[in-house]
Amino acid sequence: MVERADDRLVRLLGIVAYLDDAGPVGVDELARQFGVSTERIRQDIDALWVSGTPGYMPDDLIDFDAFSLEEGLVTLTQSRGLTRPLRLGTREAVALVAALRAMHTTPAVQADAERTAVVGSALAKLTAATGEAAHAVDVRLGGEGDSRVLGVLTRAVAAGRRVRLRYVDAADAVSERDVDPVRLVTQDDATYLVGWCYRAAGRRTFRVDRVLEAVATDLDVAEHDLDPDVDVFAQVAADVGQSPRVATLRLASPARWVAEEVPVEGVRDLPDGSFEVRLRVTNPAWLRRLLLTNAPDVLAVEPPDVAADVAAAARAALAADADEGTDSTPLG
Amino acid sequence: MAGDHAAGEPPTRPDERLLNLVIALVNTSAAMTKQQVRSGVHGYGAAPSTEAFERMFERDKDTLRALGVPIVTVEGSGHSDEVGYRIDNDAYALPPVDLTPAELGVVALAAQLWSDKTLRTDMSRAMTKLAAAGAADAAGDAVAGLTPRLRAAGDAYGPLLEAVSERRVVTFRYRAANTGEVRTRTVEPWRIAARGGGWYVVGHDREREATRVFRLSRIDGRVRVGAEAGAYTIPDRVDVDAALGARVGAERTALLAVAPERAPVLRARAVGPGPGVPRAPRGRDVVAVPFRSMTAIADEVAGYGAAVLVVEPAELRSEVRRRLAAAARLDGGAGETGERHG
Repeated sequence: MVERADDRLVRLLGIVAYLDDAGPVGVDELARQFGVSTERIRQDIDALWVSGTPGYMPDDLIDFDAFSLEEGLVTLTQSRGLTRPLRLGTREAVALVAALRAMHTTPAVQADAERTAVVGSALAKLTAATGEAAHAVDVRLGGEGDSRVLGVLTRAVAAGRRVRLRYVDAADAVSERDVDPVRLVTQDDATYLVGWCYRAAGRRTFRVDRVLEAVATDLDVAEHDLDPDVDVFAQVAADVGQSPRVATLRLASPARWVAEEVPVEGVRDLPDGSFEVRLRVTNPAWLRRLLLTNAPDVLAVEPPDVAADVAAAARAALAADADEGTDSTPLG
Repeated sequence: MAGDHAAGEPPTRPDERLLNLVIALVNTSAAMTKQQVRSGVHGYGAAPSTEAFERMFERDKDTLRALGVPIVTVEGSGHSDEVGYRIDNDAYALPPVDLTPAELGVVALAAQLWSDKTLRTDMSRAMTKLAAAGAADAAGDAVAGLTPRLRAAGDAYGPLLEAVSERRVVTFRYRAANTGEVRTRTVEPWRIAARGGGWYVVGHDREREATRVFRLSRIDGRVRVGAEAGAYTIPDRVDVDAALGARVGAERTALLAVAPERAPVLRARAVGPGPGVPRAPRGRDVVAVPFRSMTAIADEVAGYGAAVLVVEPAELRSEVRRRLAAAARLDGGAGETGERHG
C-alpha cells in the first residue's frame, strides 16, 4: 500500500525529534513507538540519511551512526534543527479535544469515578497544549441511559465478571440472560454491550437502554472465541449474514440513515433521489418495527409477504386506536 | 553517508521533497525566496518549468500548513524586494504534553471516535506527533472494554471547521425539514455540534438576523467559505443545547395506553400515571412517559403497532397515525384508511 506523502513526512519529522530526545533506540522499539513495521523504519532512516540543508554536503545532512545501526540500534548524530516535535494542526487538535470531551460525558465513563478522572486529566493536558481552537466542535455521545445499569456493566467489563441481564429484544419479549461482557460500545446516542450470551450460545450485542436490570455475579468470564476488537456493526452484519431471508426496501431520500446505520447487503441509488437497500432479516419483528417507524419514507417493500405483514400490523393498530379514541379523550 | 544531490536529477518522492523543504526553512537564517528554494532545495530542481515549480511549491506550502507547520512570509528587504519564506520556530513545536500511559490510552481511544476518512487520517497523524513527543506505551486498562464511535459528519465538516476557526462567513444550499424547499443560506458559523446521532452547525443566519441551527445532512452540495477572515465575532458563550433545544423542544409527557405485559422499555421510563389520568382503555395500562423529541417518541410508539396507543397529546397521536397510515398502504392499498400524507 502506498502511504500518503504527508503521513510519512509527519513520521519522518517525528522520528528525528523523538531520537534527539530519547537517545539511541532499537529499530524494533522505534517501530512500536510509531506503529509501523521495522521495514518502514529502515526505509525512513534511509530517506532521512540523504536529507538536509541546501548544499547537501556530508555536514549538511541528517546523520546516524552506521555501525550501531548494523546492530539494530538507531543512533542520531545530526538532527539539522528538527529537535522538537511538531505541534498539532488545528483540525487535529479540534478533533482530538472534541473526542475527549465527548468521551468524558458518556454514561459509560461517568459511571466510573476512576475513568472519569483519567479522561478528565488527558483532556485538560491536551486542551492546554492546543489552545483556543478547542471549542469549534462540540460533541455529545450516548443517551441518558440508566446509570445504575451502566455502572454495573462498566465494572463487570473491567473486572471480567459474568452478568445476569433482564433484556427486552426487538420483538418486545423479556428474557433473562447470562452474559460474559466483552466491551461497551457507544455509537452516537446509544450504548451497546457486546458479549457472549449463554442463552444464545454465541456472541450477541445488547442495547443498554433495553436492559431492564443488570446484576453482576461472582463468576469470572470464561474464554470464548471472540475477537475483542470486533466492530459492533461488522458484528451485527455478520450475525445477520447467517440468515437466509432477504428483503428489499425502496426508500425516499430522508431515510438515507437506514443505509448508514442498519447492516445492509447493498445500496442502489435511483435517478429520482430515492434508493434501494437489500437487507438480511434475522428477526421479522425488528423489520416490522423498522417499517412501521419509517413508513412515510418507504416507497416499496419486497417480498410481498413482508409488506402484507407490516400493513396488517398497521391496520390493526389504527383500528385499535380508533376504538380507544372514542372512549378515552376526544381526538384532537 | 552522503548521497548525490545534483539539482534536476531523478524526481524525488514528494514526502522527501517536503522533508528537505522543512529542513531548509527551519535552518535558514532570514528567509528563502522562491528562487532560492527552486535552485537550492532538493527535489524542486526536477520541475520542468517555472509554472510547474510554482504549482509544486504552492501545493507543498498548503500541505505543510495543513500539517501544522507554521510557514511565514517575510517581506523582501535590502537588496531584494522578493517575498521570502521561513518556518516560525517558536510556533513549530508542540508544547510539552507529558501524558501518562493511562492518559495516552484514553487519547488513543478517543482518536477512534471518528468515522470520516479525513478525520481518521488527521487522528493517526496526531498520534504520530504525540509519539514523537516521547509519550510512552499506551495503557488501555483505564478504559478497557470501551469503544466510542460517532456517525460520519460528511463533507460539510471540513469547510465549516475552517470557517469557524478563521471566522469566515459560509453560504450553502439548505433543504428545509418541513417543506423540502432548498434555499441558499448565508451564515456566520459559531460551533459544529453532534447530538443524538445528528451533526449540526450553530450560527448567525444573516438573512433571518437570528441564531439558527442547521443539520449537516440537509446541506445540499458544497459549503462555500468566504474570502475574508475574522469577518465576525463568535459570542463568548454559545449554548449548543439551548440552540438545539428550540428544535428538540422542552420536556413533555405522553400518556400511552399499553397492552398487558408489552413494551417493558417504555414502562421502565414511565414516571407513573399522574393526577387526572383518563381511565385506562379496555384491558390496557396507562403510563406517563416523558419525551423531548416529537419525532423520536412518534417513531418509537409507531414501532409497537397495536401494543401501544397514544392517549395524549393529540399531536403525538396524529404523528403516530400518519406513520401507521403509510404502513397500512405498503401492501398496495388494500387497507386504505382514507387518510392521506399529512
